[in-house]
This record gives sequence, structure tokens and C-alpha cells, in this order.
Amino acid sequence: MFVDGLDQALAALADPTRRGIVVHLARGEASVSDLVGLFSLTQPTISSHLKVLESAGLISRSRVAQSRPCKLKTEQLNAVADWLKQVQEIFEGNYKRLDVLLVELKQAQKEERKK
Amino acid sequence: MKPAEVSTPSDREVLVKRSFNAPVNLVWQAYTDPALMRRWLTAMPGWSMPVCEMAAHVGGKYRWRWREDESGQEFGFTGEFLEVALHSKIVHTQIYDPGDMGGSMGGEPSIITVTFNETNGITNVATSIKFASQADRDAAFSTGMTDGMEMSYKELDGVLAG
Repeated sequence: MFVDGLDQALAALADPTRRGIVVHLARGEASVSDLVGLFSLTQPTISSHLKVLESAGLISRSRVAQSRPCKLKTEQLNAVADWLKQVQEIFEGNYKRLDVLLVELKQAQKEERKK
Repeated sequence: MKPAEVSTPSDREVLVKRSFNAPVNLVWQAYTDPALMRRWLTAMPGWSMPVCEMAAHVGGKYRWRWREDESGQEFGFTGEFLEVALHSKIVHTQIYDPGDMGGSMGGEPSIITVTFNETNGITNVATSIKFASQADRDAAFSTGMTDGMEMSYKELDGVLAG
């Protein structure tokens, strides 16, 4: 369990642009200029988002290549994603039963109106 | 309907959104009438909801308790309604009642806000869970949700078998 740093991870993922960056990096590494083009944001804006993601332990940036490509760090991200997936499954399980119940209530309401 | 969407608007908050193909008055009924709540909030195979008490008005209390029929083990939630706006919004506190399942969610109650919004016969429901403290959130992260997970897997088994 990686409860350490959960604050930073959740706060980092609260921003839609940063979520977008994470989703994009899930497909593979990308450089700052790739992301600038993709999100139509300025380079300093993208860089500051990357800094937040990096200090939250969600991405790492290569020290080797000139372009310093960004890469997802899966450990912390998986812990958060697993948790949210659990939450989703619990709610969706309930909601599927609610769907069925609502069909029944709609039907009952219709019959009531016919009377 | 599209499956529920989960996001984290802040480091202490989880937001779940889902749409239902029904007018808001029926969705509201399903969320506030104990006899109806028992049918969807709890109908996990092998589980029942022996206690579902609702006093859905400001200052009113609720008590929900689930039981695994085979082991007889129980857990639940209790809390108080802070805001009840017909067909539009319910805000309540939520305290984990460990029953004999054990575990703890910290001391302070979480705040649950459920909003209902109907457009053309489709009702959009957004549920926000706001943890009182970092400790509460971490407890939910590491224990409470794991219990829930096991239940949902059991339920999945039932679905696949059926």
C-alpha cells in the first residue's frame, strides 16, 4: 500500500490537464514539445504540470536524452487507479440493480396513470 | 446507460457520476424509501440489509447495516442529514460502523453529497464523498474499500454464474 504520497497523487490527478497528460503517457513516452503541441498550452504551463506530476511520483523524466522524455511511473499510479476502480465497481454494482428497479417503478407509474 | 465515472476533484474528495433512464421523482424515491433502497443498495448475493432506517429531513438520522448471511458478520454506516432538497440534493454525514467486520475509518464523519438533475427523462446523479481528514481518506483507501471490493467480486461471481 502506498498511502505515503497519496495527497500529492490525488491532488495532481484532480486537474483535468494533468489527467489528460497521464492518459496520454499511458500510450507511451512523450517529450515536453509533444505535449505542448497536443494540449495547445505554452511550454511553461506544460512544464509546471509535469513538475507537479513528477513530485507526486506519477511520472519520471529521463536525465539522459536532451528532450527529457516523460514516462509514467506505474507504482503510485496503479495504487490510485486500483482504488478508484474498486470504488467504481462497488457503485456500478449498485447502479445496475437500480436500473432494474427503475424500469419496474416506471412501469408501475404508467399503470397507475392508466387507471 | 454509461457505466459510473469516478474522479478525484481534490485530494480529499471522490466524485462518482452516473445517469439513469428514469425521471427524477422515481430516482429520488429509490434513494429515500427504505423498502426500495434495500433492493438496490444491498442486494449482493449472500448479503442482506437487516437495518435500513431513514429520517430524510434536515437533522434526521439514518442507519444502514449489511449482513453476510453465511457468516452472520455485519457492518454499516450511520449519519445525519444536513440538507434535503426534494428531487435535487441530499447531503449527509457518514460514519463507518464496523459491526463485527472490524476496521475503522478514523473519527470524523465523511460528508456525502448526492445531486439529482433531470433532462428529458434522464436523471444524472453525482455523488461526492468528502473525507474529513487525510487519515480518514487513507483508512478508506487501505481498508474499507478492500472490504467492499470483496463483496463486489462475490457479486460478480453471481452475475457470471447466472
